[in-house]
Amino acid sequence: MPWRRPRKRVERGGLVRSSPEERIEEAAEDDEASDAVELAALEGASLDEVALGEPTGTAESSLALPLAQALKGVDLPSETTATPKARRARAPRPEIAARPTSRYPIGSLAIDDVDLRVRIGSLELRNPVMPASGCFGWGLDYAELFDPALLGAIVTKGTTPKKRPGNPQYRIAETPSGILNSIGLENPGAEGVARSYAKQWRDIGAPVIVNVAGYSIEDYVFVVRTLADVPGVAAFELNISCPNVDGGMLFGTDPLLAAQVTEAVKAETDLPVIVKLTPNAPDVVAVAMAIESAGADALTCINTMLGMRIDVRRRRPILGTRSGGLSGPAVRPIAVHLTYQVAQRVSIPIIGAGGVTSTEDALEFLMAGASAVQIGTATFADPLAPVRCLEGLAAHVRDARLASIREVIGVALPPKPSSEPDTEYRAE
Amino acid sequence: MVLETGRVVQASDIGELGTLLAIRAPDIASRARPGQFAHVRPGTGWDPLLRRPYSFCRIDRDGGEIELIVKALGSGGEWIATRRPGDALDLLGPLGTSFVVQRDTRNLLLVAGGTGIAPMRVLAEQEGDRRSVTLLMGGRTIRHLWPSDRLPAAVEYVTTTEDGSFGTRGRVTDVLAELMPWADQIIACGPWPMLAALSRLREDLRRGPATRVGRNALLDAQIAVEQHMGCAMGVCRACVIVTERGNERVCREGPVFGLGDVRFERGEPATVGLDR
Repeated sequence: MPWRRPRKRVERGGLVRSSPEERIEEAAEDDEASDAVELAALEGASLDEVALGEPTGTAESSLALPLAQALKGVDLPSETTATPKARRARAPRPEIAARPTSRYPIGSLAIDDVDLRVRIGSLELRNPVMPASGCFGWGLDYAELFDPALLGAIVTKGTTPKKRPGNPQYRIAETPSGILNSIGLENPGAEGVARSYAKQWRDIGAPVIVNVAGYSIEDYVFVVRTLADVPGVAAFELNISCPNVDGGMLFGTDPLLAAQVTEAVKAETDLPVIVKLTPNAPDVVAVAMAIESAGADALTCINTMLGMRIDVRRRRPILGTRSGGLSGPAVRPIAVHLTYQVAQRVSIPIIGAGGVTSTEDALEFLMAGASAVQIGTATFADPLAPVRCLEGLAAHVRDARLASIREVIGVALPPKPSSEPDTEYRAE
Repeated sequence: MVLETGRVVQASDIGELGTLLAIRAPDIASRARPGQFAHVRPGTGWDPLLRRPYSFCRIDRDGGEIELIVKALGSGGEWIATRRPGDALDLLGPLGTSFVVQRDTRNLLLVAGGTGIAPMRVLAEQEGDRRSVTLLMGGRTIRHLWPSDRLPAAVEYVTTTEDGSFGTRGRVTDVLAELMPWADQIIACGPWPMLAALSRLREDLRRGPATRVGRNALLDAQIAVEQHMGCAMGVCRACVIVTERGNERVCREGPVFGLGDVRFERGEPATVGLDR
């Protein structure tokens, strides 16, 4: 992307694309206008090629290739990678009738032989892997690497009623096996989000879960009302636990307030309402139970934990807001523990979140009682973490000869106490 | 942009600037443009977790190689800086916007401060044969300057050091005025204080007489900036700065910006997050 003085877009040639959102939108527009011959030409083209209309050198359909091969250059030693030209020649040419999934470097995975479906309220997900809010934008940025439709769902960045400029720098700091962030819910506002993304969500191929944030019950209701009828929007996740804005965490720490906001949003929409729990509440289980009673369809467990790092040279906190939200593998045991605790006291589905990096991590959450997992911070290190996790879960179902991934949900939970007295005779 | 496992082919000590890594990464090399960067994973695990962004310091399309200047800052930077020939590096790139050299530019002035030399060297190598190029390079001491034997012969050099150990004593902005009348176009990369000083010079010039020779070169100067970065994919919004158009992400709308578009406050990037 060459730099251009942005306002004078006189010579806006084929090479100027400021964002992947634009590229996809334009690719989609090209798509609609093109005939079958052009579609065929797009097969086997990378996103850049589609957007730029010129070969970029990695053109390759991953339709018939396993992930390991599709990730050429990632998992394989570079010696074995063929030249781009040779690879293109080898890549099978798919049927014209097929949807041009090869718009994405990774457009499909060999996981269709196993049942990975899970249910979040009335929403049935193709698989239990989704991004965590704030780590996947509004759904399109990672399309340069893989098809977002591969995921069970897409979870958007926190959306507020009005545009928010976010917090001062610095907004991110590294911690042992994790990061602290304090972005401050920078977003274009509910109407801005609808304007910018509605068109792409319609065709994104995965249910869109809009993460909603606000300062008052009216704020939450406004965002939900604004976005409920946007095609592609399948559910809402209420962020009642953002540690980085004043008052953002208030709703999530008080069972009564949490129940009130849940109830108000439930009254506004028929779409499933997921509420994201904060580990910063004094009694997370009590908040979870209140939210369930208020009619929530599911819970996300957990949001980030408050934390701080000090710049010892400058003698002040690193983050512009001083404290921020801790995420990444560092918080995983806490998140698994809270999932395990909450799962024993509520009957609505739980989406586990907190430091998931791999298949094994995802299985920990599922076994602790979660029906799905969110992957966030891990994608900053490995952008393909969600895809790898998905492949691994499929392999687990296959290798353990399970009928479906649902068989592992909650298997690590203690047996439910029986109401009848244990009178069974046992021989030594 | 692609994910590619690069292979380190050479690691050289370049004094206080750090380590220069030459990496075989044909997929990235074939796409990269000057000003863009690679996001490098510091290891294979999750501690340290964040990738580090490094501007391309050489792009050898035909040879399939790139070079990066890596400073051993923090545990992640240290891990990357200690890679040796044969080691693998997980690279995400090329990312961000790139510099545009105007077709009718005859005299190109490149201004580099410290590790800001990285993209300037790419431009020097690419443009040295096409037009007249002068590289103005500054550092704290001679140890902070890019080694002169790693510069193309077709390019002219002007150097400054703060301690006077090499070239003119002072900073690049102290000698810029002499070179400006010569330049048709200016491209710069360096630490924020240097960019802020450039911005002040630009502001003075903008208010001054329109007939000043070299005025347009500074008014239209392009700069590449740095910011603490998270994903580099545009999703996390950790790396935003304030420009004339509001908050913009260094990883997507940048790292190359118009000098006149970036807002500064007291020698630093303007505070983001304020309602403007």
